[in-house]
Amino acid sequence: MDKLHLDQHISQQFNMELEDIRNKVLTMGGLVEQQVTNGLTALLEADNDLASKVAESDFEINKMEVDIDEDCTQVLARRQPTASDLRLIVTVIKVITDLERIGDEAEKLGRFSRDLTDMADDLPSYRKELRHLGELVKSMLHDSLDAFARLDVDAALAIAQRDEDVNDEYRTLERLLGTHLVEDPRQVSKLFKITWCARALERIGDHSVNICEYVVYLVKGRDIRHTSFDDIRSEFIK
Amino acid sequence: MSDTTTKVRASLKKRYAAEKRFRLYGVTAIAASIGFLFILLFSIVGKGLPAFKSTFVKLDVQLDSATLGISDEPTEAELRAANFGGLIKQTMRDRFPEVSSRGDKKALYQLLSTGAEYELYDKVKADRELLDSTISLWLPADDELSALIKSDADLSNPDSIVTRMSDKQIAWAKSLKDAGQLEVRFNRTFFTNGDSREPELAGIRAALMGSAFTLLITFALSFPIAVAAAIYLEEFAPQNRWTDIVEVNINNLAAVPSIVFGLLGLAVFINFFHLPRSAPVVGGIVLSLMTLPTIIISSRAALKAVPPSIREAARGLGASPLQVVTHHVLPLAMPGILTGTIIGLAQALGETAPLLMIGMVAFIVDIPASVTDAATVLPVQVFLWADSPERAFVEKTSAAIMVLLVFLVVMNALAVFLRKKFERRW
Amino acid sequence: MNTAVATDTIDTSFIPRDPVKDSAQEAFHKLTETVGTPTVENAKMRSRDVNVFYGEKQAIFDVNLDIGNNEVVAMIGPSGCGKSTFLRCLNRMNDTIPSCRVTGDLSLDGEDLYGADLDPVLLRARVGMVFQKPNPFAKSIYDNVAYGPRIHGLSSNRAELDDIVVDSLRKAGLYDEVKDRLDAPGTSLSGGQQQRLCIARSIAVSPEVILMDEPCSALDPIATARIEELIDELRQNYAIAIVTHSMQQAARVSQRTAYFHLGKLVEVNATNDVFTNPQHELTENYITGRFG
Repeated sequence: MDKLHLDQHISQQFNMELEDIRNKVLTMGGLVEQQVTNGLTALLEADNDLASKVAESDFEINKMEVDIDEDCTQVLARRQPTASDLRLIVTVIKVITDLERIGDEAEKLGRFSRDLTDMADDLPSYRKELRHLGELVKSMLHDSLDAFARLDVDAALAIAQRDEDVNDEYRTLERLLGTHLVEDPRQVSKLFKITWCARALERIGDHSVNICEYVVYLVKGRDIRHTSFDDIRSEFIK
Repeated sequence: MSDTTTKVRASLKKRYAAEKRFRLYGVTAIAASIGFLFILLFSIVGKGLPAFKSTFVKLDVQLDSATLGISDEPTEAELRAANFGGLIKQTMRDRFPEVSSRGDKKALYQLLSTGAEYELYDKVKADRELLDSTISLWLPADDELSALIKSDADLSNPDSIVTRMSDKQIAWAKSLKDAGQLEVRFNRTFFTNGDSREPELAGIRAALMGSAFTLLITFALSFPIAVAAAIYLEEFAPQNRWTDIVEVNINNLAAVPSIVFGLLGLAVFINFFHLPRSAPVVGGIVLSLMTLPTIIISSRAALKAVPPSIREAARGLGASPLQVVTHHVLPLAMPGILTGTIIGLAQALGETAPLLMIGMVAFIVDIPASVTDAATVLPVQVFLWADSPERAFVEKTSAAIMVLLVFLVVMNALAVFLRKKFERRW
Repeated sequence: MNTAVATDTIDTSFIPRDPVKDSAQEAFHKLTETVGTPTVENAKMRSRDVNVFYGEKQAIFDVNLDIGNNEVVAMIGPSGCGKSTFLRCLNRMNDTIPSCRVTGDLSLDGEDLYGADLDPVLLRARVGMVFQKPNPFAKSIYDNVAYGPRIHGLSSNRAELDDIVVDSLRKAGLYDEVKDRLDAPGTSLSGGQQQRLCIARSIAVSPEVILMDEPCSALDPIATARIEELIDELRQNYAIAIVTHSMQQAARVSQRTAYFHLGKLVEVNATNDVFTNPQHELTENYITGRFG
């Protein structure tokens, strides 16, 4: 069963509740994606205003998480969902946790960007080094939210595999920043900030992978966390 | 105020008025039926009560062997042939010495019942020592005299009395009454005697026993057969065309006029099987034929009313089909079955027509002692007495109806008692 | 939506909206074999290719289902799906319906249910049944429980019978509530107590299998919870098949769940799987409350 058929319940009210939750999650996803994009832009362009905006907008995401959590609790208590409905609710509860964490990471990007600006001097900022990793993670997040919206298992599995690239990029970046540190130890605090930003981006990639795994659980009813990719591939990808 | 509220409010009055009217109809109907019932009861009881009393005349009888025409030590046969009638006439003549003409004498004798001499005979037969002595004896009065005394008429004014008795007879009666030789007592003979041409001697006992025997036979035959048939049809019979036909025919039988059953009884039981005519056994068989469909139909309804869940529970525990019926269904259906049986028996008790056909309309003087003795039943007795010309039979008829009703009430009370005893709730 | 976010800034047009498809019904008509695992090792009761007809009308189509020892099999499905009919085949309660015809193999411990060796009376002593409506006999509590042992002659004296009655009432969790009034009529108990009395009555015969036909549909939630607790305890000693309209109940009490639809057994699986990840669309539609 590939689709959720959320509009086919005998209870119209139930249809609306589930549809509402799903829409809220997608809205929240859009918001989180926006935050990540803004955070990344602020970081790369050293845009202090945008960075402040990102740092201050996180409360909206937190508020949405609480709101959706409450809706899910209501559905669990009042509808006792089963099968795909149950999996949807469970998935949503987990997805919004990850989204909230991603929001936190985006907020970090904003804050660190501000900090970097505060430390600004004529020395190199090293901001540009994050561009490639940022683009990778941004597209992963976007695609995983897309996979969640489309309930696309194949896409979700493919995205999850891209985490390897992110990790590789992160390790490369680490080595690069290490080299910079050896070259100019005075930049240590700045390089730490940059490393933390890289770390935040890497975490966003991990959370995106989680979202992809939840999509597989939602659609296939199989929990693929902590399972090797080869096993998963043999099971789901023909 | 919403549209519904206004509309409903407008119609409320009309609706409640309709309900009120309907209740009024109901109360009126109940009152009318109770009224009719009371009229019936009052008329029957009013007419019938005097029948439970009768008048006795006190005479001093000199049991003179010579007058009786027997020896000093009479044999059984001698005593039976003795002239007790003559003795009583002699006694009456002695009481009223002024009566001389033949016609007057005959009128005088008529004051006493023809049963008086038999009473005297019974008395002497029971105690021979009484012979050749003078005894004071209360003897039954004739029905006309009895009616006159019971009606509390003014004997000194014969013109005001409507009676078949002559003025002379009334004068004699007055003389007896003034002498304290007339007394109204409880009519024991009514309950101990069989039928008689003389109203003062006619009793209900033969008919009562006849009814009891007949109903006994009816119950003993129809109850087990009907219950077994109902159980088979309801619980065991396969549902097919044959059982449908049987069912339709049982329903039809319940609607067959009862006289047809009488004809059947006459043709089959008396003419073919040569069972005794006029006997309760034949009456009982005929009436059980008539009662069967009633009991079967009501028993089936009672069995049907037992919730299927009880049957399933028993079956689910591994009870065999017969155990399901005898352990659970039948005890629960028993009250309903008994009700149906009582309705059937009450119907049988009141039935006349089929019994006329098998000769239970006979004039029965002797009390039947077994189910093969000739007998009559209460409703037939009522019918016979209602047909008799003597005025005193009017009150006998009503009295017989009262006995019939009491019989019915006792039977119903017994059924209610049994039902209470068997009743189980589920 | 009362969130602080302006929704028009977010593109939701990519959310797929599928037209309603009748794929479930299509799949049902193609269904020839039950989805899942209808058989178990060492089954107590087996049914193979069971078909049931009421006159011309077929009520059950080729059902294969095992009931294992020490497990509760729940049968769910919409009204008229044949789950009760199937349950009643398991102790031949359908025999009393003249037009009912059963084909296929049904067996208890390998013995043919409809064979000559297994009389229905004996079968029903081995396969007990509890009904939808509590139906105690119009007898005392004691006599209700003692009835089965009495008709089957399971006790030789009064003391033995007493033991059976007390033991059965204990197992049914009713003894403490009624021990002072065993002579009171069974109908004087509350609905839940009556149903437990009925359960005590069926286990008094020491059956091997207990069939339950919607045993809690007439009871309040507390009485229902007690019965469900009891069912779970009884599972230690008996094989239990339960028909229920309450999916939550099936989820709570059973180890395996069978979903019937229009006389076909659509899916049998471990209850854990059926309620989180059913394999057939019809099962999914039914347990999630979608129109099928």
